[in-house]
Amino acid sequence: MGAPARKREVPHVAATAWDLLRRFLTMREGSIIVVTVVLVVYFSVTVSTFFTGPNLQTLLQYFTWLAIMAAGEVFLMINGEIDLSIGGVYLFAPLIFYEVHGGGIPLLPSLIITMIVCMVVGLVNGLITTVFSVNSFITTLGTLFTLQGLTLIISHAQNLEMPGAPSTDPNTGASVIGTFASVFGAGTYSELIWALIVIFVMQLALTRTRWGLHTIAVGSNRNAAAEAGIKVRWVLIRNFVVCSTFAGFGGILEAVRSSSITPDPSAANSILLYAIAAAVIGGTGLAGGSGTIVGALIGALFLGILQDGLAIKGVNANYLVFYLGLAILLAMGINVYVGRARRKSGLG
Amino acid sequence: MADQAIPAEHIVAPVAAPDDVLRVEHIAKSFGPVTALRDVSLHLKKGEVLGLLGDNGAGKSTLIKTICGFQNADSGKMWLHGEPYEPKSVDQARLLGVDVVYQDLALIDELSVYQNMFLCREPRHSSTPFLDSRRMKREARKALDDIGINLPRLDVPVARLSGGQRQSIAVARGVYSDADVLLLDEPLAAMGAKEGAMILELIARLKEEGKLSMIMILHNYVHVLESCDRVNMIVDGVIALDKPTAETSVDELTEIVVDEYRRARLAAQAEEAARAAAVPVED
Repeated sequence: MGAPARKREVPHVAATAWDLLRRFLTMREGSIIVVTVVLVVYFSVTVSTFFTGPNLQTLLQYFTWLAIMAAGEVFLMINGEIDLSIGGVYLFAPLIFYEVHGGGIPLLPSLIITMIVCMVVGLVNGLITTVFSVNSFITTLGTLFTLQGLTLIISHAQNLEMPGAPSTDPNTGASVIGTFASVFGAGTYSELIWALIVIFVMQLALTRTRWGLHTIAVGSNRNAAAEAGIKVRWVLIRNFVVCSTFAGFGGILEAVRSSSITPDPSAANSILLYAIAAAVIGGTGLAGGSGTIVGALIGALFLGILQDGLAIKGVNANYLVFYLGLAILLAMGINVYVGRARRKSGLG
Repeated sequence: MADQAIPAEHIVAPVAAPDDVLRVEHIAKSFGPVTALRDVSLHLKKGEVLGLLGDNGAGKSTLIKTICGFQNADSGKMWLHGEPYEPKSVDQARLLGVDVVYQDLALIDELSVYQNMFLCREPRHSSTPFLDSRRMKREARKALDDIGINLPRLDVPVARLSGGQRQSIAVARGVYSDADVLLLDEPLAAMGAKEGAMILELIARLKEEGKLSMIMILHNYVHVLESCDRVNMIVDGVIALDKPTAETSVDELTEIVVDEYRRARLAAQAEEAARAAAVPVED
């Protein structure tokens, strides 16, 4: 009796392994995980300095804040909306922080006030979009330029020193990192920890709470969501507020890390597009109804690795943008293919 | 169209009774220049199944959406259990015990069967914001088993299901929602004979239990006579007939509709004639 049982067992194990692999590959994040791992292996093999502690620390600054911004954007993209103003909020928030702190308010309260200002920006985006039924692309294009313009006007387009950021001791010349700085961006792993917290909380919110469920419902079928009793307008406004807040927070972290406020709209615009790219590469579509926060983290990581790897490999910076474009096209192709495979296999 | 007068004998005065669960009086609703409901009054007794009939565009769905709180009436009043009833939202109506199965089903394709079953009234683990998925699955399974709908998995998106299965989920969602007034807008529309019979059987069973009072829009007169206690017919935004099903017949109901078409045709001809008279003749 033993022999036939063993015979049956072997294909069973193989089938389970195959089924698990298929499940993994048809996961919304499965394909980008594979592509990212391939990229890591490629750079580790071809560049000796890639898989080293110092470089992995450098890598953190390429993607952590991007993941934070992309997390907010994913919620709006699941709604079938988009927020372009994150490129403005990213620039504007550190300046507000600078001005508020300059008015004699301590660091932490200044940060809270700055976050409230970011929320108000999101509220304005949400109200204009929902109350006046304006396409969010247009609404947030308006607020994007408005905020970038305000930033240039207030800062006179001059670089400013970020309050609370690491400073240099005038006597010893050593770098001084205060508690505020080490928590909000300048500590080696502080951005990573913030990114992981944001991703964890938002993924949980998306998959395990009413907020997430209603966000998917509103993005999938707005009329049906309203008929079921979901307050569509509030779901949208809330997501605009959250998206702006994360964008501002990302801006603060980066300003603290780099110790300076750089009012450069064109850099902010490419950051905005990188955040959207991270979401899209991670498996969130523009049509609404579906998306993944973990995917956005991996999408941001993918972009970070690509930038960092090509940079230390000594590839001409001009090629970087070209490769990035190809990567997005490739990721989209894989997403479409995997999406079809998922629907066919009935894995949901 | 709305200005075409209904013969006075067709307009039914509201008959209120003390055991009315729901009373609707003189409800009117327009969408811009289009009058959907002119002056609708109806009542629903406890445990009663009221069939609502009418031509396409007669205002049936508008009436349902007004009662369920999806939209507000321009004028008129409603009472629920004798108390003034002015739902500001679907949620509020649901809390007061009025639930609805929409004609378009209001299902979210991307969400799973059990998530759709509990959409907007999702149970949560006590004092946390987290959804109690296990409970949702268990209760959804029980509700679907109870009706006799056999779905192997409840965690697949409803987009994967057939029209009839989707319809059953929408009906099950309404029936098992703790409501005591249930509004059903064409609950058999996408169903085959077998599934349709299953839903009609469910409705008969609920009627027997007597807990739920229902208003049901149906197109098939035979189904109406079979499942409903009473029938109301909307013609041009008013209730033009209110009779117990025992006192009416497919013939009578058909006659009203034929009559309506006849009047509409005459009106169209008259309008045509008036337009022809108004246009100057070109040489």
